[in-house]
Formats: sequence, C-alpha cells, structure tokens
Amino acid sequence: MATSTAEAPSAFPSPFAIPAPPGGEGWEEMYPYYALFDEHRPEDAERFWFWNSMHFPTPAPVFDVICIDSPYQALGVWQNRVFAVPPAAGIDYRVVNGYVYIAGNPITDPEKIAERADFFQRRAGYYFANWPELYGRWKERMESLIGELTALRVASLPEYEPDEIAASHGVQTTHYGVLEAYNRALRLGDAMWQNHFEFLVLGYGAYSTFAEFCRTHLPDIPDQHIAQMVAGIDVVLFRPDAELRRLARLAVDTGVDEPFRSGRTPAEIDADLAGSDAGREWLAALEAIKEPWFNMATGDGLYHTYRNWKDDPTIPYASVVGHIDAIRDGRGVERPTAELEAERERLSQEYAALLPDELRAPFGDLLNLSRTVFPYVEEHKFYCDYWFLTNWWNKIREFGALLADHGFLEDAEDIFSLKRHEISEALDELTLSWATGGAPLGPHHWPPLVARRKEIFAHLDEWTPPPAIGATPEVVTDPMFIMHWGVTTDRVREWAAQVEGGTRLTGAAASPGTVEGPARVVRSAAHLADLQEGEVLVCGSTSPAWAPIFPKIVAAVTDIGGVMCHAAIVAREYGLPAVVGTGRATSQIRTGQRVRVDGSTGVVTLLES
Amino acid sequence: MTATCAPLSQLRAGDEPEYGGKSAALGELLSAGIPVPPGFALSRHAQRPDGVDAALREELGAQLAELARVAGTDDPPVAVRSSAVGEDSAEATFAGQQETILWVRGLDEVCAAVESCWESLYSVTAVTYRERMGDGREPAMGVTIQLMVDARSAGVMFTCNPVSGDPSTIAINASWGLGLAVVGGEVTPDDILLSRVTGEILRETIGDKRIEYVPDPGGPGVRTREIEDARAGVRCLARDELDALLDLARRVHAHFGSHQDVEWAIARTGSPPDNVYLVQSRPVTTLAPRPRTPPPASAIAMVMAQFGAGPGAAGR
Repeated sequence: MATSTAEAPSAFPSPFAIPAPPGGEGWEEMYPYYALFDEHRPEDAERFWFWNSMHFPTPAPVFDVICIDSPYQALGVWQNRVFAVPPAAGIDYRVVNGYVYIAGNPITDPEKIAERADFFQRRAGYYFANWPELYGRWKERMESLIGELTALRVASLPEYEPDEIAASHGVQTTHYGVLEAYNRALRLGDAMWQNHFEFLVLGYGAYSTFAEFCRTHLPDIPDQHIAQMVAGIDVVLFRPDAELRRLARLAVDTGVDEPFRSGRTPAEIDADLAGSDAGREWLAALEAIKEPWFNMATGDGLYHTYRNWKDDPTIPYASVVGHIDAIRDGRGVERPTAELEAERERLSQEYAALLPDELRAPFGDLLNLSRTVFPYVEEHKFYCDYWFLTNWWNKIREFGALLADHGFLEDAEDIFSLKRHEISEALDELTLSWATGGAPLGPHHWPPLVARRKEIFAHLDEWTPPPAIGATPEVVTDPMFIMHWGVTTDRVREWAAQVEGGTRLTGAAASPGTVEGPARVVRSAAHLADLQEGEVLVCGSTSPAWAPIFPKIVAAVTDIGGVMCHAAIVAREYGLPAVVGTGRATSQIRTGQRVRVDGSTGVVTLLES
Repeated sequence: MTATCAPLSQLRAGDEPEYGGKSAALGELLSAGIPVPPGFALSRHAQRPDGVDAALREELGAQLAELARVAGTDDPPVAVRSSAVGEDSAEATFAGQQETILWVRGLDEVCAAVESCWESLYSVTAVTYRERMGDGREPAMGVTIQLMVDARSAGVMFTCNPVSGDPSTIAINASWGLGLAVVGGEVTPDDILLSRVTGEILRETIGDKRIEYVPDPGGPGVRTREIEDARAGVRCLARDELDALLDLARRVHAHFGSHQDVEWAIARTGSPPDNVYLVQSRPVTTLAPRPRTPPPASAIAMVMAQFGAGPGAAGR
C-alpha cells in the first residue's frame, strides 16, 4: 500500500548554492583545497551530506583540520581497507562556511559486497574471538604513545649550540630536532587516531546490534536502559570522579574543607590550603592523582579549545565543592557500586523475562558480547580523546610558543589559525633564519594572516548551518551513520519537513503503516455518505457508529483522540494507518488534497498545497 | 433449569459461552484478588423476546438488594453493560459495539437498561461489524450489572504498548470523570507510556481535556460538563495512582498470561491503591505483528548481519 514519493527537488540546499555569511567571505582559503565543494566533483550535489555536529559543533579552527583528516583516514582504513565492512567504504567530508559535513561511500555492487563479506567475516571474527587479549595490548600501545608524546621535546633555539654538538659527531643540532619534533608530533597524532579506530567500528557494531535487537523486540525501551544493561560499573571513565569523591572525604576528615565554597576559584582555594600543614597535605594528595586522572577534558569535542583538568581545574574543583556539600549534609558521596550492579542485573533479567522464549538466549548472548566490547567503547575516549588529545594540543602549543618567541606569531595560541603545512613552512624559515642569522620575513607574513582569519572566523561562528545539504536520500543504510550518529531515514525526513514548513502535522502514532491518498474532510456524520473508496478520512474524531465506513478508507486522521480511542482501535482492527490527535487536521487539510499518513511515527504530510 | 443469574465473583473464564466475555473476565479478575466493583451477571438464557418478565424482575430485585446491602445505601447507582458472547474474545474486539448505561438507579431503570442491552445485539453497527469479522456464531447477549465508581479520573490501560507491541511498557489513556469520555474518543486524553521494568514515564502527552462525564444531579444517568482551564491541561493521574495502575497491570497480565486491555476508574474518595478499580478486562487482539524470524545462531553472526555480512539482520 505504501507508495514512494515522486521525483521532487531536495528539501536541502545544494552544496554549491550556499553563500558565505556577511564578513565570512574568503573562508575557503583557511581549509584544504580537497575539503571544498568543487565544480570538478559535480556529483557532490547528488549526495546526502549531514553536518557532523557531534564532533564538530563549531567552525573548525584552521589547524584543527588535522583532527578531521586524521580520523577519517583512520576510520576509512579500518572500515574499508582492513575489515572491509561489506556495504560501506569510508566517509568523505567537506567544509562549508567552516562547518564539517560528511557523506558515506556506500558499496552497492552485490558481487563487491560478497567479496568484502569474506574479508569481514574472517577479520572481524578474529577480533571478536580474541577481544580481551587484543584490547589489553591496545591499552599498552596507547600508554606508550602517550609516553612518547610527553617526552617529545620542543627545544628553544639557543644563541650557541652546546659543547656536546661540537664534541661528538652525529648528534643532531637543535634546528633539526625542532623540525623532526614537529613532524613526529603530527605522526603521533596520526598514530593515536589509527589506534582510536582499530576497535571502534566493531565495538559500536556489537553494541548497536544488541541495541537494535532490543529496539526491534522491545520497541519502547529507553536507550538509557539498554546502556545500563551493558555499561561497566567500574570503568576507567569513572575513576577521575571517584578520586575527587575520595579527596572530598579527605578534606572533611582532615578539617580543611572550609575553603571549598562555591563561587571561589581554584587558585583562591589553593592559596587558603597552602597556609596549613593539613592543607598542604591535601594539595599533595591532589597532585598525586593528577597523572593520569586529571587528563580528563572539559568538554567532548575534537578541537584544541577543549583543555584538560590540569590546565583548567574549574570543573574538578566545582565537583569537590559539590561532594563536600553532600558530605556536610550527611549524604554519602561514594558510588553505590553494589546497588548499581544489582540494578543492572535486575534490568537484564526483567527484560529477558518479557521476551518470547526463543529470543531469550540470543538476547543473553548479545548482551554478553556487548559487555565484552564495551570497556573499549567507554575507555577509548579517556585514552584517546582526553588523555592523548589534550596533551597533544599542548605539544602543538609549545611550537606556538617557539614561533611567538621569535615574533612569527603574536601569541602561542595563534598557531591554531595556521594550517599544519604552513606551520611546517614557518618552522622552516624560523630555523633557516636562526641558522644564517639573516632577517626573517615571518614576523611580517604570519601575524596579518592570523588577524584576517580570526576576523573571518568570528563571522563563521555566527552562521547557522542547515542539518543537511545535497540530495534527500530515500533511505539511509550506512551502518555507521545509523549506529554512531543516529542519522536514520526517519530523522532525515524530520529534517526535510522542518525545512519545508507548514506541510506537516504530527499526532499520536495510533495504527502503524504508511499510505498516500486523497483526503476527505468529514465534519459531521451527515457527510459520511460523501466518502469515496480509497480516501483518507480526516475528521474531528470518530464514533463507534462510523465503524461501517472503515472498509472504504485507506487511513484515518483525527484532530482529537489518543492511541486508544475508537478511531485508533478500529483502524488497527482493519490494518489501516491512523494518526490521531493532530490538533488541526480538519482546518489544515482540504478535501481532495493528497496526503501521506504515517501511522508508525504519527506524521501526516500534505503532498499538495 | 439453566442458571440465568450469578454474582460476578462466582464466574470464571469458562463461563464466557453462557455469560459473555465481560462478565467472565470480571469474575476472573475477582478470583485473582484484583479490585473490581461488586456486581452480578445475567446469562444469555435470561434473555426474553418480550423484555424482562416477572421472574427475572424478581431475580434482579433480589440481586440489587444484595448490592444495596454491600454499598450500604438504598438504590445504589449501577452500571449496566452488555456482555455479548463472542465479544471481547481473543478473536475479535467488538470495540464499543454494545450498550453501556451508566448511573442507573432502582429496579425499573435497571430492567429498562437490561432490555436496551439486549436490543443492542441487533444494532446495525454491531451486525455490520460481526459480518466483517466473520463471526458465524448465533448472536447472544449476557448483561453485567456492577456498582458504579464515582470516578475522579478514569480511562483505559494496555499491559503492553498496543501500537508497537512492546511488552515492557504499560500504556495508559486517562481523563477526568467517568471513563466514557476516553472510550468514546470525546476528549484527547492524557497519553502515558510507563516502563513496566522501572515504572518511569517513558513518554507522555498531556491532553487538552475539555469535557468530563459526571453523574447527572437531576436524576439517573450521566451528563457531560466542561472542565475548567486549570484542570484541562494537567495530568489527571498522580504518581501514586500511576504506581497503583502499574501494579494492577502486572497482576492482570500475570493472571491471564496474555496482554490485556482494561478499563479502570479511580474513586473520588479513598486513596491509592485502595480506590483504584478495574471495570473491564479483555485480551489485546490488535497487537502489531512482532518479528518472528528465527534469529541467527550466534551473537557474532548477528553482529555480522548488522554489518551486512550475513543473512538477516539482528533477528529481523
């Protein structure tokens, strides 16, 4: 009964027709040539691109483009070249007015899909079968990468090289070390992203298979409950806060809790504590947990603007203040892990019991597999996104400080207004002019460029990006889009509807199914006789007396009523889609107008004006 | 002689062919200790071609006297509902096709209401409906007579989500006053989805409830009245009332072993759970078909399928 929509122009703007916001003109220069929509890739207009606001919620700072390139290289290589996920290669990105849009590269050729399925079965199967061991090695690798990053030295350029250089052959000179350190820093970033994605596709895949299983068989289950059944109770991500709770208790027990009052800065609190022995002991206890637990980030994003707790202790101090308040009020601050564990088991058992017999075993198996992969899904954020990345940005800041020392930048932070290749270029000239003793152009070249970009950037920041651009897809099939971003066919339709404006009514999803047909607006029983075969009944509400007309219609839409009113019950009995309680169907819809009724989502779409 | 009349508490599911689905289900609820307003039932054999006769009138009088004794008042208001054989069965939901007469008082009115129920068996809509549902059985009608609950709020409840079929949710439609407004689709009720596992409200839409049914102060029957703005847009169920309904839903589902569609009412007097009653229960017949494809053998195979590397997908 469902009919597909006729060819219609996309509800989303063409990527080639989006103007720069006033004052933002010339933004293209800040991004790589390959990140732009270009006439040599005209097919881009026919692709569906959505704004990846999850990872890139604001315009991408110029340098931070490396955290677009590198993740999509790494995601692509694991998904496409290693595991060969059958229906999807990698993800392409483009930048529009500074905002990051992404599109999938689907694989549609059945032969190719079958070929890839062989690789995937073998390789993914190996990972799932050996997960705990492989993940153990992964943690060791990540800690060693972080160790190398921390040890990486960004030297300042001395007036004279030290004696050792002259005394021993083959020791590298400082300028060489600087250039090599920059290259190494970039490659360490790449290495982190490569590790980041090694398990990600499979980890999310296992979890989302369980989530999808739950949603299929328990359609109303809150995502929260699915996560609760899977999530670990004692995982790395909870450790930082657990340490803060412990320190809060220590402060109260040793009588140094008085300085912890809301509204005070960490520096003020520290100053008070430094005045007493007990206070100094508390500060020492704090210092002892900073590595690694203060490598938490202040936010969840891939930009350099997210600092860690060592750099910005506002959040952990506020947490300690909150915990101390709780202790003073006689409330416990320790996490009730035993109760959380018990609730996790209770939920798992109750949901299992509600499923039909034949689904209970697969439910349990999937839950176990999800619990096996989930430590990675949760913990990789701490290792990669927080611990590594916040310290990596700081390493880049050291190069910024070096350039600022020599006047190439006004401020170390300005390094993030340069492209990574430009930094390479700037370091080349800096080391060249340092070595020769000649006059550098850098101090005249880079600061004006930075100033111009900051100006443009401020205007990009004010722009509101559309949720999607390019073609409106009929269906979304990419597993990562659905699993990771929640970009589903329904979601895209909602976006399209928001763009279209007043052609959409929503109500209670009363009887499932989708159908299109001409509307018949019936305002009283007297007009029931006008109903023609195949029409969509649009009325204020229905009464039991109307039951006999239901065989004639293809769907029912009412202004008033809930999913258990008669219209809904009778519609379900006859297998007709119904949307009830739309509030304004009879005033908005005209008799004869074509409408689409989606009784599964509760949406009525007006197809003609 | 075949029995024509019995207290609800004596009926069980097996009495459906004689007393009709509604009466039999109420007897089952009482046997499970679920609060149901006291009442009695007439079997299909009570039906007389020329209306209530002297013998039946006497029987009705005796039963009403017993209800008056239980209620502690003369001529307590009762609800008279048809309880058709075949109605409310697992095969068909005769949604509201039969008669319900509320707030009936005194023997004369009860006799008239019983006759209305019998007549409703032959109403045009019911016959059309039966033909459509292919029910070949000879139509027959029992009658249920119960003490009225003067409801502050009332409505319907499914022990699962009737739209999605989710067995882990309880779906409630509720409005002010007697349940008639919700059942008849005359108001947009509060639409509440509760988690059966945690009791939390998963989704709710507060209806703009403009009218309510209340006892007609001028005499028998009920009338509608407008709901003042202050009450129209607020949820008509408090948290402890939701908890009481959730508990009833679990018990009803456990007792019948299948999902039920119940009508409930919360009395103006008393407090939950003691003032929460069920006045009807029937099997849910209109569940959306749940996926029944056998799931792949192993969890890893299901994950493979999710990635398009295997047959089927996630048990679908």
